[in-house]
Amino acid sequence: MLSTVDPAGPAAQTIATLWWVMLAGASLIFALVMVLLVLAFRRKNAGDDAGRVRAWIVGLGLVFPMTVLAALLAYGLIVGERLLPREGPDIVKVGAEGRLSAWTFTYEDAPSFSTDGTLHIPAGRPVDVAVTTADVIHSFWVPRLAGKLDAIPGRTNILRIEADEAGTYTGVSAEFSGTGYDSFTFYVIAHDAANWDAFLNGDFE
Amino acid sequence: MRDIIRILIAPLVWLATFSAIYGLHGLLCGHGINGTAFGLPIERVLLGAAFLFAILLQTALLFALYHPSLAASSEFSRFVSRATGWVGLVATLWSLSPVVLTTYCV
Amino acid sequence: MNALGRHRKLTAIWASEPGFKGWFSTVNHTDLGRMFLATAFFFFFIGGLLAMLIRAQLATPHSAFAGPDIYNQIFTMHGTIMMFLFAIPTFEGLAVYLLPKMLGTRDLAFPRLTAYGFWCYAFGGSMMLVSMVFGIAPDGGWFMYPPLSGAIHSPGINTDFWLIGITFVEISAIAAAVEITVSILKYRAPGMSLDKMPIFAWYALITALMILTGFPPLILGSILLEVERAFGFPFFQAELGGDSLLWQHLFWLFGHPEVYIIFLPAAGVISTVLPVMCRTPLLGYGWIVAAALALAFLSFGLWVHHMFTTGIPHMGLAFFSAASTLVAVPTGMQIFAWIGTMWKGRPELHLPMLHLLGFFFTFVIGGLTGVMVAVVPFDWQAHDTAFITAHLHYVLFGGFVFPIFAGIYYWMPHFTGRKRFFYLGEFAFALVFIGFHVTFLAMHWVGLLGQRRRISTYAPEDGWTAINLISSVGSFVLAIGIAMILIDVFLHALTASRGRRNPWRAGTLEWAMITPAPAYNFASLPHVTDRNPLTIEPDLAVQLAKGEGYLGTPRNTWRETLTVEVASGKPDMHVIYPANTRLPILMSAVTGIFFLSLLLKFYWTVPVAVVGVAILAWKWVWSIGRQDDMDTVPVGQDIHLPNFAMTDRPPGWWGSVFLLTANATLFGSLLFGFAFLWTVAPGWPPPDWFPPSVSALALGIIGAGLGPIAMRYATQKNRNGGTPLASLALTLAGAVLVAVACAAMMVHTPAPTRHAYAATLFVLGSYGLFHAALGILMVCFLIARVRCGFTSSARRAEFPIVRLWIDYLSVVSVLILVVAHLPGLMG
Ligand code: HEM
Ligand SMILES: [Cu+2]
Repeated sequence: MLSTVDPAGPAAQTIATLWWVMLAGASLIFALVMVLLVLAFRRKNAGDDAGRVRAWIVGLGLVFPMTVLAALLAYGLIVGERLLPREGPDIVKVGAEGRLSAWTFTYEDAPSFSTDGTLHIPAGRPVDVAVTTADVIHSFWVPRLAGKLDAIPGRTNILRIEADEAGTYTGVSAEFSGTGYDSFTFYVIAHDAANWDAFLNGDFE
Repeated sequence: MRDIIRILIAPLVWLATFSAIYGLHGLLCGHGINGTAFGLPIERVLLGAAFLFAILLQTALLFALYHPSLAASSEFSRFVSRATGWVGLVATLWSLSPVVLTTYCV
Repeated sequence: MNALGRHRKLTAIWASEPGFKGWFSTVNHTDLGRMFLATAFFFFFIGGLLAMLIRAQLATPHSAFAGPDIYNQIFTMHGTIMMFLFAIPTFEGLAVYLLPKMLGTRDLAFPRLTAYGFWCYAFGGSMMLVSMVFGIAPDGGWFMYPPLSGAIHSPGINTDFWLIGITFVEISAIAAAVEITVSILKYRAPGMSLDKMPIFAWYALITALMILTGFPPLILGSILLEVERAFGFPFFQAELGGDSLLWQHLFWLFGHPEVYIIFLPAAGVISTVLPVMCRTPLLGYGWIVAAALALAFLSFGLWVHHMFTTGIPHMGLAFFSAASTLVAVPTGMQIFAWIGTMWKGRPELHLPMLHLLGFFFTFVIGGLTGVMVAVVPFDWQAHDTAFITAHLHYVLFGGFVFPIFAGIYYWMPHFTGRKRFFYLGEFAFALVFIGFHVTFLAMHWVGLLGQRRRISTYAPEDGWTAINLISSVGSFVLAIGIAMILIDVFLHALTASRGRRNPWRAGTLEWAMITPAPAYNFASLPHVTDRNPLTIEPDLAVQLAKGEGYLGTPRNTWRETLTVEVASGKPDMHVIYPANTRLPILMSAVTGIFFLSLLLKFYWTVPVAVVGVAILAWKWVWSIGRQDDMDTVPVGQDIHLPNFAMTDRPPGWWGSVFLLTANATLFGSLLFGFAFLWTVAPGWPPPDWFPPSVSALALGIIGAGLGPIAMRYATQKNRNGGTPLASLALTLAGAVLVAVACAAMMVHTPAPTRHAYAATLFVLGSYGLFHAALGILMVCFLIARVRCGFTSSARRAEFPIVRLWIDYLSVVSVLILVVAHLPGLMG
């Protein structure tokens, strides 16, 4: 329902892959450190300090992490670039305004109306959500579709989301906002092309 | 006290240039200036120039820390100040590398 | 004089008043260190109880244990207590207790300041507890984001408790940091050059410097937010030219370094304890010093990684993502240096070592998940979920609590002079270790399944029930383990089996004394020639007790010690410490009245408290110094040193330098805030601008120039045996001019409640005015000292101190006036 590891859109998918790759790498590094730690307890033959400094501090302490981290940083930056809300031909633009404790959604393609608590989007098309707030800071988060983005007073932030298939996805406000925070949720309904047109023409539910 | 300054100077300068370039980036994106220079957008050119300046500054500092007339007198202070000198240079290259790697105002 | 006679005489000079009354007047670092630690662990206990409540609430879905109102207070107070009232004070306590002993001297640089800091901590902490008892505790989360914490959305007094209480407690952190910095740089045994300092001292020095530059942004943020709440200055309100992101920047500018301020002392403990457990010196001392320094600096360039989801452009995020990955390098280097040390030696599985292994296991996981959340896209998912809760506990518990437990068990024989008699500690360790990982390991996963942090309840359909229940069970195992450790420590203090001196056969100086430690530490001060003095001279303790070191002959009723040159460790000054006094507790009580008045909005008592603090501070400083010149003092080994009253760089000068460092950071943060709002905040330009005036600007600049020049002249005059009174009067005139210019600026500022521009100018003006008033007070003090004969051409120490403050005043006031007037004058 809210699982980031059960992605239903390209952004969430990319990030889930990133997570599994990092988990694998981290597990290997953790195992390495633990093995080294255990081996410290066995009988050893003597060595000299200069050699140890070279092996432990320069080798394992400097070269090893810098190599791994450079690769990770590059990976992270590439993924980050891919997820940015760049201009494009097929993009649907909607607005999400948070207020204690509900979201109101507006649609550039249907300026005449807004919806409360449920955001309608077309499936299979990139959607840019302009996130704003009427009071305190909130955060727009649909874990199965994409990462989260904050609604900051006085600013408009753009988040790119996309659902691969039609369906209903749960979203939550993910920045603490006081007593109503627990139940501050919303839904995203992704429509197929026909239903989306119907929605824009105003005939839904 | 001199030795303490030798030890602290390079990372301090890193901190200053890092914050300044982050600030410059915020400023350029907040107040969108337009134009190109050398065939590149003016934002990229300005950020790149600042990056280059930061690198040169760190290189100069490192050079000074190795220079016999400016280096620390005790062996220990020499070691630590040169180590932090390298930290300054590497941190500059590493942490500001996005200047030439990523999109700037999205 | 034999060793026993010397012990008796020194004890008479150094001892605190007997009984519990002594607590209120003691200025001795051993007492105060113990008091700090005891209080900090008391708060750890409270914070732990709150954690149990959190876990009880989250154990099952639809929990009705506490409603959201109460629950929000519980987790806010848990985080706040653990960070501000447990972790930082534990470092302070440990450093206060250990440093003079490790550095081979008799006390910290400013004993009364230690006491003042402790009482500010105790009173401020009590304030927070009171709010909890009455159910009006802060409830906005430990980072208190506005606008949620602003007056509109949090009208109650809850948030004020946080802003005011924590600022009060922070005074103690700043006081301790100044104290620790000066002590490490100056108060060491002769011969202890920088490279011979025990590694813990390096870590403590770096941590203290980080506190001095890391805490001021938060202090400033708290002041601004409190002023916004109390008087409606809109610093964080977007409609009126403020920006809630400014708070986030200020908070995390503090908050990220804070994490390393917590970790570094623990790393210092590891670097001290681990080699002893492995019977070998630490591998790569110089590398570790450099790595710790690198860590400290890098940690100031990471703060935006807490703001990855606030909509900052990708390049901005990428800078901080890159810096955040880089910080893992010096951390990893230390880990591998420690493991290399273990390979080099023969590790023995004593109890402290078990906790160190717990540290490795836990902290490495925390570090690895830390690197994960440094990757921007992953953080977009993980931010504000239980994944972060899990990560931060792996780092804080692994990187602080385990090492501190190791340290506690390691130094316990030193605190009490006794030894443990039972395997309770081993058993407790097992419970803590297992309990911790059961509580937090699966919490990563439930975070990825979408559980947000700070929710008070969830539904069964969410699919988080099993993990939360397991986690709660684990937390109770953990709690039992911690309780057993506390009981173990308690039993330890009560059991009668006396231990032998230096039970671990350690090499550092704190073990070269009888335990529990005598009030004076060392009967005579050692001459240090090695990083591990006890390894090369196992009999050192006896030699020192026999008075074979420096200052071995008690004189008068003086609490004597000496200071050294920073780098070389050559002795340079003779110091006489102040004795027991209730002044610190009194002054922190009056400081408390100041904060309480603000909290309860009794504004008419505020000036009373301010005057009270000023009077007490005057008394405080007045009581040191002397009215006659003193010859150089023989300190033993044919060395004669001048008393500090007859030098140009007395301890007070050093203290001022570092206090001003913190102060300048605060001022810098204020200027940063101004620039940030001006360039980035929505809601600019302001409705009306400050009316510039060439004459007001010129007046202020003349005053700012006059002060330092006249002060230098006064110093010169005094040095040459003349009377400096006329020049001091000119200095005073300069400070008065600055005060007038700043006051005029505040008067002409447009209404500060209407726009953040005017609000910030008003605060800048009052900052200048405050420092001008301080300068005036200091110059008046110096004039009084001159007239009462406390100065002479030899007794010149007070001049450079005042000069430092006057110089600072000039720099900041010129900046303030220029910032206010120049934009308008330029058009
Ligand atoms: C004694 C064992 C501990 C347990 C069982 C525990 C448990 C928890 C839990 C369950 C939360 C998350 C509440 C939520 O947001 O859903 C939490 C938050 C937190 N804990 Fe702990 N904790 C423990 C020790 C510590 C320690 C030692 C520290 C720091 C030195 C610490 C610092 C924090 C902080 C800063 C927060 C965040 C509070 C906030 O969101 O405002 N905790 N703790
Ligand atoms: Cu951080």
